[in-house]
Amino acid sequence: MLSLGLSAAAQPSNSCPPAGQGFERLAAANAEIAYRWDPASLKVGQFFSAEVISCRPSAGVTRISIDATMPAHAHGMNYRPKTTEISPGHYRFTGLMLHMPGRWQVAIDLYDGTRLVQRLTRDIDLKP
Amino acid sequence: MRLATLFIVAAFTILDAVAQELSPPFTDTERAAILAHGPWPQPKSTDPSNRVSGNARAVALGRKLFHDTRFSADRSRSCATCHDTDRAFADGRPRSIGLQLADRNAIALANLRLNRWFGWAGASDSLWAHSIRPILDEKELGLTPALLQERMARDRPLSTEYARLFGHRPKDGEPEAVLVNAAKALAAYQETIVTPRTPFDDFRDALARGDRHRAARYSIAAQRGLRIFVGEGRCAACHTGPNFTSGEFEDVGIPFFAEKGRVDPGRHGGIAALRASPFNLLGRHNDNPDAATGLATRHVEQLHRNWGEFRVPSLRNVARTAPYMHNGSLATLADVVRHYSEIDEERLHGTPDKRLLRPLRLSPQEKADLVAFLHTLSADRSVRESR
Repeated sequence: MLSLGLSAAAQPSNSCPPAGQGFERLAAANAEIAYRWDPASLKVGQFFSAEVISCRPSAGVTRISIDATMPAHAHGMNYRPKTTEISPGHYRFTGLMLHMPGRWQVAIDLYDGTRLVQRLTRDIDLKP
Repeated sequence: MRLATLFIVAAFTILDAVAQELSPPFTDTERAAILAHGPWPQPKSTDPSNRVSGNARAVALGRKLFHDTRFSADRSRSCATCHDTDRAFADGRPRSIGLQLADRNAIALANLRLNRWFGWAGASDSLWAHSIRPILDEKELGLTPALLQERMARDRPLSTEYARLFGHRPKDGEPEAVLVNAAKALAAYQETIVTPRTPFDDFRDALARGDRHRAARYSIAAQRGLRIFVGEGRCAACHTGPNFTSGEFEDVGIPFFAEKGRVDPGRHGGIAALRASPFNLLGRHNDNPDAATGLATRHVEQLHRNWGEFRVPSLRNVARTAPYMHNGSLATLADVVRHYSEIDEERLHGTPDKRLLRPLRLSPQEKADLVAFLHTLSADRSVRESR
């Protein structure tokens, strides 16, 4: 927690974007994020990008990663997303693609250095 | 009397229609899954990475090159040798014979604008790049860029057509650039090959409209097979969308030894070849090198599980494109259905409880139904070039 506190002091903080900008929220014990997909509606086999903002902690998140898997079939995506830091705690991920219909789980990991602060997950039932 | 006859005919027509409706009817989930396989045909589009895509002159030049045996080392083979117009742009052989026996089955050429990757291993990210591969492959056409340039330059009418399209005669270009341009004309031609509408498409559209009478013309066996396809069979997990393919790669338990002691690495090797290719969409030959055209190439990940994965082929026109699988090892659609029904789990990746594929153990009736459905993905008439 000390390192988180030090980082928080050293970096500017984020605030969650207001409603109406297409963002959704995900929250857990140690974190809350706002995220949105582009395009907003995900389709099988269509590339999309994701924008993620760490709202809580509002500072001290030094890295965010994203991945998606199909838990029922124990496989992930065939593509590795590219990460761009827009500002501290605010990231854009390009090159995501869900190639099969069914239940996918998107996992968004927030790190402070190498320490995993929180994993947040969102299930997506991708229709054919 | 005439009125009575009309009533009787009408009654039989209605009874016939009722008899062709599946019982129980398709559920909302099944219906949504069926509708996702259309509409057909898909809207036409051109390839931004190929500046002559959709150009009528390029199509004409590409058609000539496609059928011209001068563009093989010994002048005995052309693209059409393995992609025969009379065989739905395939060759009917398990493994193709170019200048030598090839490792894989010739994929039927059709609906290629819908592809993200090309070839059984996806070694190319554009149709024009994939058209270069057999030209240079010593097992297929066995040319070099210089030899292709020389043979094109020697044919005056061909040389003139090339110049009209690309602004210079073949002799005045770099051999590699001439090769790429020839491949782009070949791609422009191949993009025109589309499969026609099928009995399935008529059924799918009737279902979308709520036209029960028209939908009832679709055979009951095909409807039962379709239910397996989108349901218990899980076929539609990979054979998705209007072109019946995810466009990606899977391991379906087909042995991947090209010959004794030599493995065909499938998708794993395909990604390696893609990255090494000077003709991929991240290279200088892409006519529209913005982020969108090279997106998949930029992000594709080479994974250990890619070993032994091969393209999920489109099922459009499938009844006309036997034999099946990357090595042509299954002769008929009945063999394919039997393969999935009795699949050898020992050959599959992953842990048993997580595998997408598992033996379906279909009854003889269910196998016949699935085959009946697959036949409805082919039209009575031949594959055609669209304009």
